[in-house]
Amino acid sequence: VSTKASLLLLFAVAVVLGLLRSDLLSRMTSGRPKVQISFWNGFTGPDGRTMLEMIRKFNEANPDVEVSMQRMAWATYYNKLMVACTDNRGPEVFVIHASTLPRMQRAGFIAPATDLLEGPNAIPKDDFEPYVLAQTRFGNDYIGVPLDIHPQGMYCNTDMLKKAGLVDAAGNPKPPADKEEFLHAANAMREDPGHTGHPDVWGFALSMWQNNYQSLLPQFDGRYLDEHGNADLANPHNIEAMKFIASLKPLVPPPENGLGWLGFRTQKVAMVWDGVYMLGDLKRLADMPYIGAPIPVIGRHPGTMADSHVLCMRRDLNPAERNAAERFIRFVSANSIEWAGAGQVPARRPVRASPEFRKMQVQYAFSQQIPWMMYPPRTPVLFEVSLEIQLAVEKVVRGRASPEEALRVANENAQRFIDTDRRENVRKGGNP
Amino acid sequence: VSGFRQARRRGLLFVVPYGASFTAFIVLPIVVALVLAFMQFDLTSRESIKFIGWRNFQEALADKYFWMAMKATVSYVVLMVPSLIVSSLAVALGMNAMSHGRSSVRALLFLPGMLNVAVSAILWRWFYEGEFGLLNYYLKHLGFQPLPWLSDVHYAMPSIVLMSLWWVMGGTSVILLTALQQIPKQIVEAAVLDGAVNGRLFFRVLLPQLRPVLLFVVITNTIAGFQVFGQPLLLTNGGPELATRGVVQYIYEQAFSTYRLGYGAAMSWLLFAVIAVLAIGQYQLFRRAVS
Repeated sequence: VSTKASLLLLFAVAVVLGLLRSDLLSRMTSGRPKVQISFWNGFTGPDGRTMLEMIRKFNEANPDVEVSMQRMAWATYYNKLMVACTDNRGPEVFVIHASTLPRMQRAGFIAPATDLLEGPNAIPKDDFEPYVLAQTRFGNDYIGVPLDIHPQGMYCNTDMLKKAGLVDAAGNPKPPADKEEFLHAANAMREDPGHTGHPDVWGFALSMWQNNYQSLLPQFDGRYLDEHGNADLANPHNIEAMKFIASLKPLVPPPENGLGWLGFRTQKVAMVWDGVYMLGDLKRLADMPYIGAPIPVIGRHPGTMADSHVLCMRRDLNPAERNAAERFIRFVSANSIEWAGAGQVPARRPVRASPEFRKMQVQYAFSQQIPWMMYPPRTPVLFEVSLEIQLAVEKVVRGRASPEEALRVANENAQRFIDTDRRENVRKGGNP
Repeated sequence: VSGFRQARRRGLLFVVPYGASFTAFIVLPIVVALVLAFMQFDLTSRESIKFIGWRNFQEALADKYFWMAMKATVSYVVLMVPSLIVSSLAVALGMNAMSHGRSSVRALLFLPGMLNVAVSAILWRWFYEGEFGLLNYYLKHLGFQPLPWLSDVHYAMPSIVLMSLWWVMGGTSVILLTALQQIPKQIVEAAVLDGAVNGRLFFRVLLPQLRPVLLFVVITNTIAGFQVFGQPLLLTNGGPELATRGVVQYIYEQAFSTYRLGYGAAMSWLLFAVIAVLAIGQYQLFRRAVS
C-alpha cells in the first residue's frame, strides 16, 4: 500500500470518527441535531461514576439530547462556575450546594426553576422537606431542585462495639444514642493496655472539627444568625455546644496527631462523626466493619448539620435547551435512589420511603436525623462566617481560647463581614 | 540605510509574537488590576460595581487578616531566604570540592525542583502526617516524641520552609556552584599561597567574588518568598489558625472565594509595593557592598 493511499485511508477514518463524534451524523440520520447539555459538578469521587452512569441512562432514553458531564474539585469548582456563568459561557445545568445559593443567586445567572416544582408535570413539592425546599427559594421563585441531603452522622466500628460489649439483646452492635451512652462507649472502646496515655485505639476522635461542632448546634437550639440576619454566633446555646466539644479533650486524640477520619478508616478510632458522603471511602475498604447511626443526643434533642446538592439551570437557555435541561433534572431527581447508592440521602420523600433505600444501612440511619437537621448559615458571606466558626473551633480544641472568648471574637468578625457586605452590595428583593 | 531598516523590521517581526503575548498576559492584566484596585467590584453583585478611590487600600491597611497574612509571609521569607542561601552555599561548596561524581550529585539535588508544587506538597503532607507520617515514624523509632509538623501554630511554618528548601535548594545550589566555578583559579591559589585557608579563604576571597550572584539569588528568592502560595495552600490550607495563610492566599480567597476582585487587586498592589521596596533596598545594599 502506497503512502498516499495510507494517508487517504487515515483521512477517511478521521472524517468518519469526526462524524460519529459530532452531531452531524445524528442530523443526517434523524434530521435534527441533538440538544447539547453541559452538566458541571464537583462529584470527583466514586459519586462521579454513579452520576456518569445515570447520565448514560438518560442519554439512552433521550436520543434527542446529549448530556456531557464535567467534574472538578469543589475547591475550585465555584470559581470556575462563577466566572464562566457571569460571562455567559457556563454550563446549561450545574450543581450548587444549598448553603452556597445565596451568594451565587446574587450573581444573577441562575434561572428560576419554579415551573419544575409548580404547574403541570411538576415534581411534587410535597416530595421535599419544606426546610430543604426553602433553601432554594428566593423571593417568589425556586431556583433549583434539591437532589439530595447530606447530613453528618456517626460511623462506628462494629468489631470494636462488640469487643466492648456494646450490643443489643440480640447481640448486634449497638451504637450509643445519647450523651451518657456516648461517653461510656468512647471510654469503653479506648484501648490503652499500658496506661501510657497514648492508646492503641481511641474510642472517639473529632473528625472535621468545625462540622462536629456545627452538628451539635441544632441539638442545643443554637443558631448562626438572628432574625435580622446579624451574626449570633456567641449566644448561650452555641456556647453550650462548644463547651461540650471542649470537654472532650481528655477523651479524644490530641489535635496535633491528626487522627480523625484517617484513624477511623485504619481502625485506630472506634467512632467518628462525619458526612454521609464519606461512605464511598469506606466502601473501598474490603475488611472494614462499620455501621452508621445518628449523632447521639448530646443536647436537648436530636440534631445534626446537613446540606444539599441543588440542580440549577443557567438563565439564558433557549427553549430547546431549557426543555432538555428540565427533562434531565426530572430524570436525575426521579432516579435519585441510584444516586443514594453513591453515599447520599435522596431529597425526595418517596425515594427515601422505598424498600431499596431502607436497605442502605448508613444512608437510612443518617436520614433519620432529617427532621432536626440544620443547614449552614443562609448568608451571602457564608465563606467568611464559616471561616470564623472554624477558627473559633480550632482555638477551643487546641485549648487556646475559652468557648465564650472564641465565639465572641468569631461573632464580632462575622458581623464585620456582614456589615461590609450590606454596605457594598445592592440588595435585590430575593436575597435572604 | 535601507538594509539596516529592513534588518530592523525583520528583528521587530521576531519580537512581535513575544511582545503580543507579553502585552496580553502581563501588561493588560497589570492595567486591569490597577483599575480594579480603585473599584468596588464584586462579581456576585454587578449592580454595585463603582469607582471608590482609595477605599480598598484603606480597608486593607485596617484589615487585621491582611496584617496576619503579611506576618505569615514575612516569617516565611525570614526563615526561608537565609536558610536557603546558607544551605545552598554549603552544598555548592561541597560539590565544588568534589573531584568525582559532581554531575550525579548535582542532578540528584536538582531533581526535586523538577516536580510540580502539588506533587511535592502531597508527598510532604504524607511525610508530615501526625500518626502515620514518615518523619514521625522515624522519630518514634529513635525513641523521640512525634512532632506536630503541620498541626501546631509554632511548627507549621518551619515545616513549610523545610519542604520548600527541599524543593528549591537544588536550583539555587547549581547557580552558586556555577558562580564558584567562575572564580579565577589564580585568585584562589594566590590566596592559599598567602596563607588564607578554610574560613579566611571563604569569607575574604570566595564570598566577595560571589556577591553579584548572591545579590541575584537573594533578590529573586525574596520576591518568590513574598509570593509563596502553593506550599502553604496544599500543606496546611493556611492553618492552623491562619498561622500560615500568606498574603497571596488571602488575595486569592478575597478575589475567588468571596469574589471581591477590587479588594483583592488593591492588596496585590500593596504586596507589589512591599516587594519593590525590599528588592530595591536589597539591591542598593548589595551594590554598595560589591563596589
